[in-house]
Amino acid sequence: MTPTLLGRWQTRIVLFATVGALFTLPFALGIVGPDASGIPFLVLFYLALLGLIWDVLYNYLQQFRWDRDWPAVFQLIAGLWEAIFFSYLVEFIDLPGLEPGVPLQWFAIHYSLVWLGMFAATHTLMRILFPYWRFNGGQLF
Amino acid sequence: MNSSQRQEVKLSWEDPVTSEYQNLLVQIPIALGRQLNQMPGEIAQRQVSRVVLNSSAVSRYHALIDWENNSCVIRDRNSKNGILINGQRRKNTILESGDVIEIGPYEIIITWGGDNKKSIFETNRSQIFFNPITNSLDSESEGIPSVVTTASESDRFPPPEFATPLQVSLQDIYTSGLSVDEIDYLTIGAGIGSFVFVDCLRIFGVTADKIIALGIDRKPYSRYKQLCLNSQIPLKERLRSNSDSCPDNIWGFPSYAWREAWHDLLRLRLFDAIGNLWQVFAEPTLAQTYTPRAGNVFDSIDREIKRIGWEKMYRYGRVLAIRKTTDGRYAIAYSRGTRDKRERAFLIANYLYLATGYPAIKFLPDLQAYREETQDFQSVVNAYEAHDYVYENLKKRGGTVLIRGRGIVASRIIQRIYETRRDNPNIGVIHLMRSPKPKGNQFKKAERFVENHFEFQPFNWPKACWGGDLRFQLERADSQQRQSLIADWGGTTTAARKDWRDTIDEGLREGWYKIEFGQVEKVEKEADFLITYIKNKNFKSTIHLQTDYIIDATGLDADVKVSPLLNDLVTHYNLPLNFAGRLAVSNDFEIEQMRNSTGKIYAAGAITLGGPYAAVDSFLGLQYTALRAIESLAASRSPGLKKLSPLNSFQQWLKWLNNRSPDE
Repeated sequence: MTPTLLGRWQTRIVLFATVGALFTLPFALGIVGPDASGIPFLVLFYLALLGLIWDVLYNYLQQFRWDRDWPAVFQLIAGLWEAIFFSYLVEFIDLPGLEPGVPLQWFAIHYSLVWLGMFAATHTLMRILFPYWRFNGGQLF
Repeated sequence: MNSSQRQEVKLSWEDPVTSEYQNLLVQIPIALGRQLNQMPGEIAQRQVSRVVLNSSAVSRYHALIDWENNSCVIRDRNSKNGILINGQRRKNTILESGDVIEIGPYEIIITWGGDNKKSIFETNRSQIFFNPITNSLDSESEGIPSVVTTASESDRFPPPEFATPLQVSLQDIYTSGLSVDEIDYLTIGAGIGSFVFVDCLRIFGVTADKIIALGIDRKPYSRYKQLCLNSQIPLKERLRSNSDSCPDNIWGFPSYAWREAWHDLLRLRLFDAIGNLWQVFAEPTLAQTYTPRAGNVFDSIDREIKRIGWEKMYRYGRVLAIRKTTDGRYAIAYSRGTRDKRERAFLIANYLYLATGYPAIKFLPDLQAYREETQDFQSVVNAYEAHDYVYENLKKRGGTVLIRGRGIVASRIIQRIYETRRDNPNIGVIHLMRSPKPKGNQFKKAERFVENHFEFQPFNWPKACWGGDLRFQLERADSQQRQSLIADWGGTTTAARKDWRDTIDEGLREGWYKIEFGQVEKVEKEADFLITYIKNKNFKSTIHLQTDYIIDATGLDADVKVSPLLNDLVTHYNLPLNFAGRLAVSNDFEIEQMRNSTGKIYAAGAITLGGPYAAVDSFLGLQYTALRAIESLAASRSPGLKKLSPLNSFQQWLKWLNNRSPDE
């Protein structure tokens, strides 16, 4: 893919609000995971927020690539990095609303599902619903 | 050279955007740079010849060529990216006639004195035309004039009403007594560009009875396929095209890699399937870029042809002229006869979409001259001409082939020769290049990768030109900036396929593949051989290359003036051309000067290179162009065209998946 910064931001917000929320719902309702709470949504919110900052870095790195592209494998690496960073962040910093000691295995499951859902959507559903999306560097508006 | 002689020197180069030959006769001192006003107008009361080279890799005042102690010297003016002389980095150096100065994407040859006689490259442009009736490459065809003149004035076609007025009246057309049809959407060319546009129209709600596609070939991919086969891409070979550039599927999903993986899976070829998917996942950094097989692409278009009812919309015809009508539409005079039977007709359309493709292929002027002189069309060929017999003969008798050009087509030819060598190892290749290529193009923080003087890039432009930030940059740029950007991103490149790179390494090691540098002076026939005379910098003299065949792999030509139809349109309406000599179009590909009340004309493909989009002649670029034109048509409420909501788009995609007509 060849996203622009604006495209990364817009796509990230839209995907977190739709696919991300959808995959978080079972965790928030307690169907999957320890118990019903708003914490999974709060985690999702922080991930999205941090992601917007990461996007600036990714966009900068893209400038060093002749094709100015972002291969799918980079999407995976970025996803892993964001997960590792976040799990360390909550260990050491008190994020409002999140107490340290979020159960790591549940975070891993929740995060993996959300990431896979969004990754799949960028390669399938986004193209099918928005034919102009891939020509606009991921911008929807 | 003696400074007292005050000779002129000649600078000649191939334009990095259009690949046309540029020649400039100038007096020393010469300043080279990106900005005219940054270069001195005078040095020591001598007027400076200032040469503007448009590229971001060129500094504003890059270099100066001047006399020093009776020698002609080039001095780098602290430029950011430096100068290469005959492939070697130099700060200041004495120049000799015939030296190649490389500055950014420009490779300039400087000559003077006896070398300065009118070179063959200054002769008229040389190309091979597509026969306007058969659409095949025809080395003896000169193109048919757009106006068919016949003995009697009353029999003229297009009629005299087309000759001078800017608008023709419908009444005049109807009184001609010839067949006249009226239609909402007409696309001219009926090649892949037209097909993709019609496909989009159908998906966006327009019914087949509102559309006509006018062209010579029944199948939209006919010419493309012929050029593929001629240039040694058989159906099982892979094209240089992205997995999700699917002319049969506007969404790009499922891409060709997914489809191929699915087919492999059904045949229990699990590793092949995983291989394809791994490629699209990791390309181009950790895996070689996936590209689809030519045969699969044509098959997929065949399926879409049936689905959208292309055969109902296609009409055979050769367009002779296009005029505005007095009622805000366009009149198209076309011939639908054959060699034996003349039949002429008119079409009246509200909206026109021109996708006529490459009007000709380029042919190196010295090779053209050789052919004209000797009438030998067998041993000197263009890679796009049918030339399979060359490989058959090589297989039987062996021989040496000289290849000119270092792009993707050259790579294919070398691959084919490599395969032929398995049957007969007595085949050699001399690859003749104008100058060494030690370093790739640069753009901002990135540089293109080079190996063995081949410059690599997965596709013919950096990927972000199709739908990334480079696309936006080019769209926003003014004409001058566009020229610079296109020079930086374009140029001759080939794909970094592992098998090709291995072949070159192996050939160099084993000695059957050699690279020579130099400028061709002439090509002659001596006994049974072709002799190419080149100026070689290392030997400082003319050397002879003796070969059995010469294959010109330098490419296609898109100068719109070569096309009689476009030339007539441009001349009649005084249409502006862009810096590359192609049709000037708006960001949504409209030829704005042709607006006729509500009528609009759009142009797509190679005839718009140099405009708002770089990759105009690719599958994905043609889809982009079609989508932009349709967006603009939908905004002006064209008949039957609906905006595609996400839900509509999803429904249309399901129809595609189930191979059902878009109207169902």
